[in-house]
Amino acid sequence: MNPVASLFRVSSFLGKELREVVRRPGIIAALILGPFGIMLIFGLGYTGSRRPIPTELVLPAELGLPADPATFSELSGGRLDVVRVSEDPQAAMDRLERQEVDLVVIAPADARERLRRGEQSTLQAAWNEVDPVDDSLARLGIFTMTDRLNREIIRVAAAEGITLAAQQGQPVNISPDVIAEPARVETENVAPTQPATLAFFGPAVFALVVQHMALTLASLSMIRERFGGQLDLFRVSPLNASEILLGKYLAYGLLTVLVGAIVAALMVYVLGVPLLGGWGPVAGIVALLAFASLGVGLLISLFADSERQAVQLAMLFLLASVFFSGFVLPVEEFVAWVRGLALVLPVTHGIATLQDSMLRGAVGEEWMLAVLAGIGVVCFVICLIRLRLLLRSAA
Amino acid sequence: MERAVEPVIDMRGVTRRYGDVVAVRDLTLGVEPGTILGLIGPSGSGKTTVVRMLAGILAPSAGTVRVMGVEPRRFRRSHRERIAYMPQLFSLYPDLTVKENVGFISAMFGTPWWKRSRLIRRALEVVELWDVRHRRASDLSGGMQRRLELACAIVHDPAVLFVDEPTAGIDPILRKSIWDELRRLRDAGRTLLCTTQYVAEAEYCDNVALLATGELIAVDEPEELRRRTYGGDLLRVRATREVTPEALRDVAGITSVRQIDAYTLVAVTGEAGTSTPRITERLNERGIGVHSIEEYQPSFDDVFTELVARHRDGAVGVAGPPAAF
Repeated sequence: MNPVASLFRVSSFLGKELREVVRRPGIIAALILGPFGIMLIFGLGYTGSRRPIPTELVLPAELGLPADPATFSELSGGRLDVVRVSEDPQAAMDRLERQEVDLVVIAPADARERLRRGEQSTLQAAWNEVDPVDDSLARLGIFTMTDRLNREIIRVAAAEGITLAAQQGQPVNISPDVIAEPARVETENVAPTQPATLAFFGPAVFALVVQHMALTLASLSMIRERFGGQLDLFRVSPLNASEILLGKYLAYGLLTVLVGAIVAALMVYVLGVPLLGGWGPVAGIVALLAFASLGVGLLISLFADSERQAVQLAMLFLLASVFFSGFVLPVEEFVAWVRGLALVLPVTHGIATLQDSMLRGAVGEEWMLAVLAGIGVVCFVICLIRLRLLLRSAA
Repeated sequence: MERAVEPVIDMRGVTRRYGDVVAVRDLTLGVEPGTILGLIGPSGSGKTTVVRMLAGILAPSAGTVRVMGVEPRRFRRSHRERIAYMPQLFSLYPDLTVKENVGFISAMFGTPWWKRSRLIRRALEVVELWDVRHRRASDLSGGMQRRLELACAIVHDPAVLFVDEPTAGIDPILRKSIWDELRRLRDAGRTLLCTTQYVAEAEYCDNVALLATGELIAVDEPEELRRRTYGGDLLRVRATREVTPEALRDVAGITSVRQIDAYTLVAVTGEAGTSTPRITERLNERGIGVHSIEEYQPSFDDVFTELVARHRDGAVGVAGPPAAF
């Protein structure tokens, strides 16, 4: 084998593939920039915070409590938006039924008397939610409000008791605030970067764009040649399977890394996403991610029955990546076998390692890099075997 | 003693099946170096299957195929570098320019970049596409695309070319220019096997093989094939008055006579030169004047139609003169 001639054969694909991609801007626009644009809008527009739950408080006049909704909104720690304070429990429940409010809290009219008798009062809370997240937030909101309300009652009662004791010549050297809240917590997030939606999702979007671009380009590459007659030319020529694959890996790898570099620069210098680990590790992760994704794309290209099926499979892979890779929902929240599925998606490891490198300064789970390389090698070997079979004379 | 020339292409008893369908049946064929073999037959006759077996794309179901002495499925790189294959359908890259397509194929054959420009230019000049080298392949006409494929097939200077329907869908003038190019390659020592549906193109070939329903009907030099089909030379005899085939009965050298119209006969003879004076003499003896006697060459369409009909009917022997001119 003449290695120089082999180099020229590999280079023939390098030049040809790059020219073809450049000459078909529609593909880049539709399949690469489109998803990237959607993800960019998501990254820029998603705040990660939910609106407070519209709430109505029913406070009977006998309680003598203030009727200002803002006071009670504050008590819920911002989780509830008290839009109305009323006195008629039935009217409030009707409004809940009609979804004019999402949560109703009803205080008992004899709460004050029961407290004086040393009895516990019960607040009635009802909500009208089908969204499981809103259901949890309503529960959390009402517990927070009840907790703070109890604390306030204790604080007021303690203040009254301390005043009474002082009047009777038995001063108590303790603050009502300490009685109401004997322990408090001081918090600190020691992560190298403080959580921010854009900073957190930026590397994830970047990883998904790299995977999608590499996979889409590669998945369309061989399918055209298989069904367009070019494969017959390859069969008759001195080309072998490894030269074809190397040429394609080089061409699409270069293109992916080039576009990846532009996206990464935009992300860091325009959107302000932190880059604690430096460019070197990011480049290494992107190269591994591109290698693995190109392998998956070429597998699709070598096994799909038509160009349409290849596009569909690439889109299915994107959908699976969005759901199972940790892009939106944490991988840990899935059952074990779905977590196994997430492991075979290159982007799962791309997201985790890029977030670690960019936001923490170092990759914590280095085994993920080995898995990325492993996916790439396994795909390359399967592609090589498949292409060799395709290039053989048909029996 | 003169040594027999080894055929560059050698097929013996080759059969190719696709499931239950027999595409090529028991084909034996050879092509000598520096010649063009025209593989002629209607659509579906098995021509492309033969080319694909020779190029190593398909394996034969039975029989042996050898190209340059090697079974195509065992070709090494050194063999592939000397072979060119021009498929029937356009299989280049529509988004690349003319020059880029030829350059890609040239690089695919391992040509160093410093030699590539000269070879690309030479190939494109041969097929007269150099002036449109910057045009995308998708913007070329059908004829130009075929010429581009031919340029791609010859850019690496192959010794053997398998050319599948080079003139399909191309106007007659361009067809002739493509055949001129193929003959120039032949003259330069290349061996070519070309398929075509156009029977008239047989005249451009050194040898012609006729295929129908996967079977070889005949193989020979074009002129010899024409002679063999009708059993000899054909003479068209035009008399000055009405004449019947009976008038030429028992003329030495005449094997059969057919009436064309009241004044015209066609006679089959082993040697036109000696039969012409005998025919004149016989007609004059019978008081019939001779208006003209001329050698007639039936078209290859007639020859092919005749051979296919005889093959279909299982007839053996020569056909006699054609029924119409």
